[in-house]
Amino acid sequence: MKRIVVDPINRIEGHLRVEIKVDETTGKVEDALSSGTAWRGIELVLKGRDPRDAWLFAQRICGVCTTVHALASLRAVEDALGIDIPKNANYIRNIIAASQMVHDHTVHFYHLHALDWVSPVAALKADPAAAAALQNTVLDKYTLNLSGPVSFDTSAYAKDFPKATTAYFKDIQNRIKKVVDSGQLGIFAAHYWDHPDYNVLPPEAHLMAVAHYLNMLDRQREIVIPHIIFGGKNPHPHYIVGGMPCSISMNDMNAPVNTERLAVVDNSINLSIDLANGFYVPDVLVIGDLFVKAGYVDGGGLAGQRVLAFGDYPEDHYSGIANGDYFKNLLVRANGVVENFGQGVAKATFYPLEGKDLSDPNVLAEGVEHSWYSYPETGKDLHPWSGVTSPQYTGPKEGDKTHWKYLDEAGKYSWIKTPKWNGKMAEVGPLAKYIVVYTKVKQGIIGEPTWAEKFIVDQIETVSKLLNLPPEKWMPTTVGRTAARGLDAQLSAYISKYFFDKLVNNIKAGDTNVANTRTWDPATWPQEAKGVGLHEAPRGGLSHWVTIKNGKIDNYQAVVPSTWNACPRDSKAGYGAYEASMIDTKVKLAEKPLEILRVVHSFDPCLACATHLYDREGKELSVVRTDPYL
Amino acid sequence: MDKRDTLWELFQKKNISRRDFLKTCVALTSLMGLSTELIPQVVEAAEQKPLPPVIWLHGHECTGCDESFIRSQSPLASDLVLNMIALEYMDVLASAAGEPLEHHLEETISKYAGQYLLVFEGAVPTAENGIYCMVGGKPILETLKHAASGALAIIENGSCAAWGGIQAARPNPTNSVAVSEVVRGKPIVKVPGCPPIPEVLTGTIMHFALFGQLPPVDSQGRPKQFFGNRIHDTCYRRPFFDSGMFVENFDDIASKAGWCLYKVGCRGPEAYNSCGNMRWWNGMSYPIQSGAPCVACAANNFWDNDPFYERLPNIPVPNTIANADKIGGILAGVTAAGVVAHGVASYIQHKVHQSKEEKAHGAGQQPEGDRDNE
Ligand code: SF4
Ligand code: SF4
Repeated sequence: MKRIVVDPINRIEGHLRVEIKVDETTGKVEDALSSGTAWRGIELVLKGRDPRDAWLFAQRICGVCTTVHALASLRAVEDALGIDIPKNANYIRNIIAASQMVHDHTVHFYHLHALDWVSPVAALKADPAAAAALQNTVLDKYTLNLSGPVSFDTSAYAKDFPKATTAYFKDIQNRIKKVVDSGQLGIFAAHYWDHPDYNVLPPEAHLMAVAHYLNMLDRQREIVIPHIIFGGKNPHPHYIVGGMPCSISMNDMNAPVNTERLAVVDNSINLSIDLANGFYVPDVLVIGDLFVKAGYVDGGGLAGQRVLAFGDYPEDHYSGIANGDYFKNLLVRANGVVENFGQGVAKATFYPLEGKDLSDPNVLAEGVEHSWYSYPETGKDLHPWSGVTSPQYTGPKEGDKTHWKYLDEAGKYSWIKTPKWNGKMAEVGPLAKYIVVYTKVKQGIIGEPTWAEKFIVDQIETVSKLLNLPPEKWMPTTVGRTAARGLDAQLSAYISKYFFDKLVNNIKAGDTNVANTRTWDPATWPQEAKGVGLHEAPRGGLSHWVTIKNGKIDNYQAVVPSTWNACPRDSKAGYGAYEASMIDTKVKLAEKPLEILRVVHSFDPCLACATHLYDREGKELSVVRTDPYL
Repeated sequence: MDKRDTLWELFQKKNISRRDFLKTCVALTSLMGLSTELIPQVVEAAEQKPLPPVIWLHGHECTGCDESFIRSQSPLASDLVLNMIALEYMDVLASAAGEPLEHHLEETISKYAGQYLLVFEGAVPTAENGIYCMVGGKPILETLKHAASGALAIIENGSCAAWGGIQAARPNPTNSVAVSEVVRGKPIVKVPGCPPIPEVLTGTIMHFALFGQLPPVDSQGRPKQFFGNRIHDTCYRRPFFDSGMFVENFDDIASKAGWCLYKVGCRGPEAYNSCGNMRWWNGMSYPIQSGAPCVACAANNFWDNDPFYERLPNIPVPNTIANADKIGGILAGVTAAGVVAHGVASYIQHKVHQSKEEKAHGAGQQPEGDRDNE
């Protein structure tokens, strides 16, 4: 038995460490731990601030999934204060969220995940002519001919389309060769390029994928242009509580949003549709297909047992979230939990997640058994609205507090808490969302699917046909988790278009409102209020919990997707999603655990998000007060 | 293996023509805000200067600064990462992980001792010997000091690295500080912003890549070419400020008309950055253009200069720009005198508190009638 440490896990947001115990003869992972190794205390910083500023602070929880924490925060504050945002603001926020989804997934797949599947070194062996032929085959075979509703069809043809010529691939290959020959490998240095898993794909697939890695590195910036127009910048675009600051006017040449600005957004959305259809979906499906054919259907972990999602994209007005109205109005009604999808959709069990569940401490709670915090009552989990976190750093099992050898899997070992649904662990993410929607539609729980829900079902069924495997076989796996993200990017590109069309139609109908400022003045607020903000973010279900007292934030908690997935184990609930998926993965060479990188990356880890919790009492550590006025 | 290419050699290897090489140099010259007379020097530098090795570390941060970095249009991130610098360590983009990656870091530090550029993103948590940010099983504080000792120069990338950023906002639970508070005796340039404008960061790195030294800086250690003016001085809404034409409430008719955002909290009068002139996405927009007041995200400890919708104190309007400028002058002066960390913010905060009592006076106009209905 060998104990392997991988720290830092690369190509992620934040700081993550994993340790695994591998049986070297069988390659079986006997035990695995996942640890968030940093803690920033942002919720503590939020305490006592103006709730109208909360989104600005919360947004800095993460800059990769920028904007998602701003959105969840705005929704939490608006829920608490009973603010109903105008239609246009809702459409604009949905466009920002959906374009973020396309962007985040694209960058994750090509720049943070692809190198677990493909290698620039292997690309050197490719025949450029065969690579061009492969590109054509891939476009023929792996393009999903699905499209969302488009009322203003402004794109004359697909502007961005993969190149499939011998000369192009020859040129890319020559460039890679020069980098490799120079010995200055830069970001490609020091990796296990000799790992046998880099032989699963033919050299031509490696060359094609590396070409697209470079292509997308330069194209991704254009996907988030809606953030620049509506929010002024990216990462971290601007909002206001009550709506958006970007006023709309067709009568003012200086207006933040007018026809010219809308055309810029439209152009970017068209591009994102082209990139998802022509690059991302075919690339992820051909790689997935070849891996599945080679027998790689492992890494499922919790996915086949229990997944959770909140759903998203309010169509129009809703009166609140904690009161459950929000769920009645969603384009993607993924709110709920599905157990045992691994046994087939017919045998899976669906549990709804509705308004009343949000405030029930028996349904949603967090524990700290293996986290570096202590609770007033040991063993009693707490609901986020009354969360307590007293940091209690205990150091490692071997080594000392500032120099770790091995962390202590029997004790505390992470800055991430353990969130639970009904006392159980659940996986979240695009795969979870897809499993929940598919189950709800197939079991008739959703009677009349929205176009987006139908789109999800169509995508899943088309891919199942392509792979010649039922959904329960390919979805709860490493490949399935990665493929679901690509499908979600395609869906999200059409969701951007859908809300863009709604925005234009609404302006056409004479409504240019973007902000509800009737309750802007804190004098209009109740003395005490609490709210929850939900968002189905790129990495899964996200919730922010705020309590407001006398116009100031009294308590702030965020239970983020990576908290659900990267959390440490629990003696009653079992392993967290990362840990379960690693245990479910076979490792060929203990010293070069490429399979572990691949399965952990398939979750798109985002650690700064997960490790910033603090307590309601706000136990202060080494507090330095340099501001005499506060 | 040891050979490091110059930009020109790299272009030759890649069969890119001399003409393209010269074109690139011209583009770089203007990108860095240098006069065209300096083009021959840029060409010479690019011909002779080997590609600088770069080590990029992360402390307490949100990775927004990396994301901003890859959004750069000129130079494109791909060109910069693969062609203009040798990015030897950056965990966010690196293929490798864990021990091999850490080993590569050590190799780079010793092989290129005294030659590499260190980019640090994020704040440095110093409480309890740095246990609040452990990377590779040890505090990032330790790795930073180690990597800094052999660096030729250091870039504090983003407001977290430059000032401590959001985690250093009150009550600063992890006692996070700027890089320059724990590293001394090295040339350090601050590239603040939350995040910095992509081209501001890549422009600073390019300057180093071509000239082998950091760009000229102001009294606070920021590149003058990007932080020389207040947003207020480069803002296209400034004529409205000067004429006393203000947005009074979000989404009022003045918001639609694009008037000055000062009264809804704009921090432009105290913000030094390139948002007003370069803008984001090469001129596409910036927060003010999208109707959002500036929050001065590149300013020292701007987080504690909240609430963000309270108007800045003591900038009388209209047509009395002298006072508004005075605030900027005082800010620069105070900081130059070495008042660190939260001093400046405290000053502003104090004024904000005062102004709350004073209540903003009502100078200003509104556009006539609802022009939407015209
Ligand atoms: S400066 Fe802002 S964008 Fe950059 S790492 Fe810090 S919080 Fe993120
Ligand atoms: S106060 Fe703000 S919006 Fe007004 S001119 Fe100055 S920078 Fe521009």
